[in-house]
Amino acid sequence: MKILVVDDFSTMRRIIKNLLRDLGFTNTQEADDGNTALPMLQAGNFDFLVTDWNMPGMQGIDLLKAVRADDKLKTMPVLMVTAESKREQIIEAAQAGVNGYIVKPFTAATLDEKLQKIFERIDG
Amino acid sequence: MKKLSNKDKLEQTITQTRDLLSHLENNEIEDAQELIDTLAGEGDEDLFIEIGKLTRNLHEALTNFQMDSRITDIAASEIPDAKERLNYVIEKTEEAANKTMDKVESCTERSNKMSNDAEELLVEWKKLYNRELEPGDFRKLCKKIETHLEKNKNDADDLHSELNDVLMAQDYQDLTGQVIRQVITLVHDVEESMVHIIKMFGSMDGYNKAKDETSVKQGVEGPVVNVEKRDDVVTGQDEVDDLLSSLGF
Repeated sequence: MKILVVDDFSTMRRIIKNLLRDLGFTNTQEADDGNTALPMLQAGNFDFLVTDWNMPGMQGIDLLKAVRADDKLKTMPVLMVTAESKREQIIEAAQAGVNGYIVKPFTAATLDEKLQKIFERIDG
Repeated sequence: MKKLSNKDKLEQTITQTRDLLSHLENNEIEDAQELIDTLAGEGDEDLFIEIGKLTRNLHEALTNFQMDSRITDIAASEIPDAKERLNYVIEKTEEAANKTMDKVESCTERSNKMSNDAEELLVEWKKLYNRELEPGDFRKLCKKIETHLEKNKNDADDLHSELNDVLMAQDYQDLTGQVIRQVITLVHDVEESMVHIIKMFGSMDGYNKAKDETSVKQGVEGPVVNVEKRDDVVTGQDEVDDLLSSLGF
């Protein structure tokens, strides 16, 4: 399972990578916004995308929409991990086809739970 | 009391008042005094009231001028200084976060090794219990246990020292706290100056109205710090989950 972690803050990328490693996902790569993430996704055989929303350059919501609009990427599971907490934003992300939505600050248990849920849906 | 009903008389008084103001503004005290005497000679009490008002306006104009220089200070040095201070906060917090994560990763690695070593030893220890150990292997096992215990002691000391480093990395909170407090004071000063300007030149009604309105920010806004005053945001993961499941997710 190859996972791309997208966040503009290196500390947050590091936290997520560490948590993913503890959950057994050791094959992770990083990008700092949508503009760097999208070409990586298109070129790199990723299986899963974890992205922040608020980033300079291309925002996470636009990355999500770009992924869903790309024939090769559109089925990729996307988990949003963000401080954006307006109800209309969560609805917007859901309508854009997000698979999970975690608000910061979050816990390791929440990340684990959301990942499990996404995998259950994919398998089932 | 003078009657200003006569048109000519009214115009004359207006001209005289303008002249008086102009003398005052140009610091022509003698001319002003002369004009005041002339007007006073006409026995006009109202005019003295007007002069009183003019003097007050002049005083306020001078006060505003002083405030302008405070605003100049704020714009020229205090705001750039505040930007530097806030950048310092970003640097310090990032540094602390990385230092802490370095140490945590190192501790994790060490504790994994300790656990693996102990697991290996336990396998052989159980063999000893089950009498599956060759006579020569017992000596080897004793040596291994001795090495393990020594290593364990060193690892525990190292863990202790790394945890101490994690503790010390939290000193950023005190430093950044002080810096942020200074910036809050500055923001407060700017707010006061702005309110003062609005009082002088703008409309306090508009200000009070805007103050009561809750501004709704469009688009991304980062962490919401006044959740209790907002009804358009969720307060935690549970509410996110509820919202999503109500949408059929």
